[in-house]
Amino acid sequence: MTDELPAWSEPFAAPRRQIRRSLRVRGVSREWAWGGATGKGVRVGIIDSGLENSHPRLHGRVVENVTVELGKAGPTVVPDGPVDMFGHGTACGAIILDLAPEVELVSIRVLGADLRGKGTAFAAGLEWAIEQGLEVCNLSLSSKSESLYPVFHDLADRAYFRGRALVSAANNVPAPSYPSLFSSVFSVAAHPEADPWRIYYNPSPPVEFGAWGVDVPIAWKDGGSTVATGNSFAAPHLAGLVALILSKHPGLSPFEVKAILVSVADNPGRRRPRRPAGPPG
Amino acid sequence: MVDQQTEAALAALVAAARRSAVGRRLQGDIETRLLQSIVDATVRLFDAEAASIALFEQDPDRLEFRVAAGDQGAGAVGLTVPPSQGIAGFVYSTGQALSLSDVASDPRFNRDAAEQTGYVPRSIAAAPLVDEESTLGVLQVLDKRGSPTFSLQDMELLAVFAGQATVALSAARVQRDTERLLRTVFSQLGPDMAEREVEDLVTAATAELDVDDDAPFWRLVDQVARLRSLTDRETALLTDILDVVATHAGRGRRTRAGR
Repeated sequence: MTDELPAWSEPFAAPRRQIRRSLRVRGVSREWAWGGATGKGVRVGIIDSGLENSHPRLHGRVVENVTVELGKAGPTVVPDGPVDMFGHGTACGAIILDLAPEVELVSIRVLGADLRGKGTAFAAGLEWAIEQGLEVCNLSLSSKSESLYPVFHDLADRAYFRGRALVSAANNVPAPSYPSLFSSVFSVAAHPEADPWRIYYNPSPPVEFGAWGVDVPIAWKDGGSTVATGNSFAAPHLAGLVALILSKHPGLSPFEVKAILVSVADNPGRRRPRRPAGPPG
Repeated sequence: MVDQQTEAALAALVAAARRSAVGRRLQGDIETRLLQSIVDATVRLFDAEAASIALFEQDPDRLEFRVAAGDQGAGAVGLTVPPSQGIAGFVYSTGQALSLSDVASDPRFNRDAAEQTGYVPRSIAAAPLVDEESTLGVLQVLDKRGSPTFSLQDMELLAVFAGQATVALSAARVQRDTERLLRTVFSQLGPDMAEREVEDLVTAATAELDVDDDAPFWRLVDQVARLRSLTDRETALLTDILDVVATHAGRGRRTRAGR
C-alpha cells in the first residue's frame, strides 16, 4: 500500500488518520443495509457514452437507450441505438451489475460524434433522468462550463428533493467541475485496493466517498475488456451499493443512503459493531 | 438588430482582432515549442515509450497530434482522430483523466489510430487540457517502461503536466483569446442576442483574419516575422543592402526627374 496518493484519494490511503470515525448508527450493518439485495426494482441511469446492450457483462439488463439531440429549439431526448461510442458507459454499467446484478440500466448517451463535450447535452440528459424518476444516476463525467453552474445546481437540488441519488466521479484536474462539487451529490474518488465492496467515507468534502478505481478489470467497446484506472470507475462501485440499499429499502432519501454508507464504510477507528437489533438473520 | 453603436464597436473590435492576428503571426511557433518541451519532460519523467499532445481543431472537428516525444512517439505527429473515438476522444469529451492497461492483448480494442503510428501500446494514460472555459486537447503517455500499469500518482503527475500545457496554450493562443473577447463583448452589447447572432458577428469580425497567404498585407507581416528571427549580423547585412538599394533607387528617381 502506498502512502503517496493524489489529493483527491489521499484520505483513503493507509494509515487513514484523517478519516478515523467512531460514529456508527446502531443496528446498521452491511447485512442490514443490503444483505440479500440484488438491486431488483431499481433503475440506474448511466449518463455517459452509451451502453452496448449486447455486451456479455451487461447480461441483458439494459431496458432503454436514449440520447440527446441538440436542435435549434433546444436539446431533446430521443431514442438511441444500443451502442457505446467509447466503451466507457458499458464499463460503468458492468461495474454496477457486478454489485447489483438485477438493477435495470437506462443508457442516457450525452457523449459522441455530435455531442462532444457539450455541457448542454449533459444537463438535458440529467434532467430527463430526474424527470423519469430513475432512482440512481451514475455520472462519470463533469462539466466545467461556468454558464451551466446554475443549471447543474438546480438539477442537483431537484434530484435531491425528489429522493434521487446522483453518484458522480470527482474530477481529478484542479478546476471547478459540476455537478461533482455539489453537496447533495455522492462525490467519489478512487482508492487502490482491489475490492469492489470496500468503501471509505471522507468527512472533509467535497469528495465524500472512496471506492475501488485502480487497475479495475472493466468491460469495453465491441464486447471487449481491459484494465483501467480513474475516478470514473470508482463512481459506479458506489452507485452499485446505493442501488442495493435502495432495492432493499425503497424510498430512502439520498441523505439517508449517505448516512447508511457512512455507517458501514471501512474507515478505521470504529468501535466494534453491535449485533443488529431484531430477529437474527 | 445591429445599431449604429454596435457597428462602431464592431469596427473597433475588427481592428483589435487584426492586431492580435498580426501578433500571433509574428510570434512564430512558440506554441509548438512549448508543447514539445512538455512532452519531452513527460516522456523522460515517466520513463515511457512515448508521450504526445493532441489539440482540438474545428472544420472538421478533430483531435490533431501536434507534438510527440520518446522512442515510439514520432509516428503520432500530424495524426488526426475524431473527437468521438478512442482514449484521446473519450478524455477530450469527458474532461476525465483515464488510464488503460492490457490494451494490446484485446484484439477488439479500437487501436486503428495506434496502428497508424506503427506502435501499439500495452498501456495508455491520458489527461485533458482544461482551461476555465473548455477542454483544449489531451496529453497522453504510452507504456511506462518500469510498470505494466499507471498508478494514481502517475495520473496526478500527468494532470500537472496537462496543467502546464494548458497554460502554455493559453499564453500562445492569441487568436483564440480574440474570439473569446469578441464573444464576451457582443454578448454584453446585446444581452438579448441569441447565441447564433453572437456567433455570426464573431465570424464576421474574424473572417478576414483567416490566413490568406497571398494577400499583400499578410505577406508583409510574414516578411517582418522573418526579419525578427535574423541575427544581429544578418540584420546589419540586410540594412547595408537596403541602404544600397535605397541609394540606387533615389539616384534612379533623380535621373528620371532630371530628364
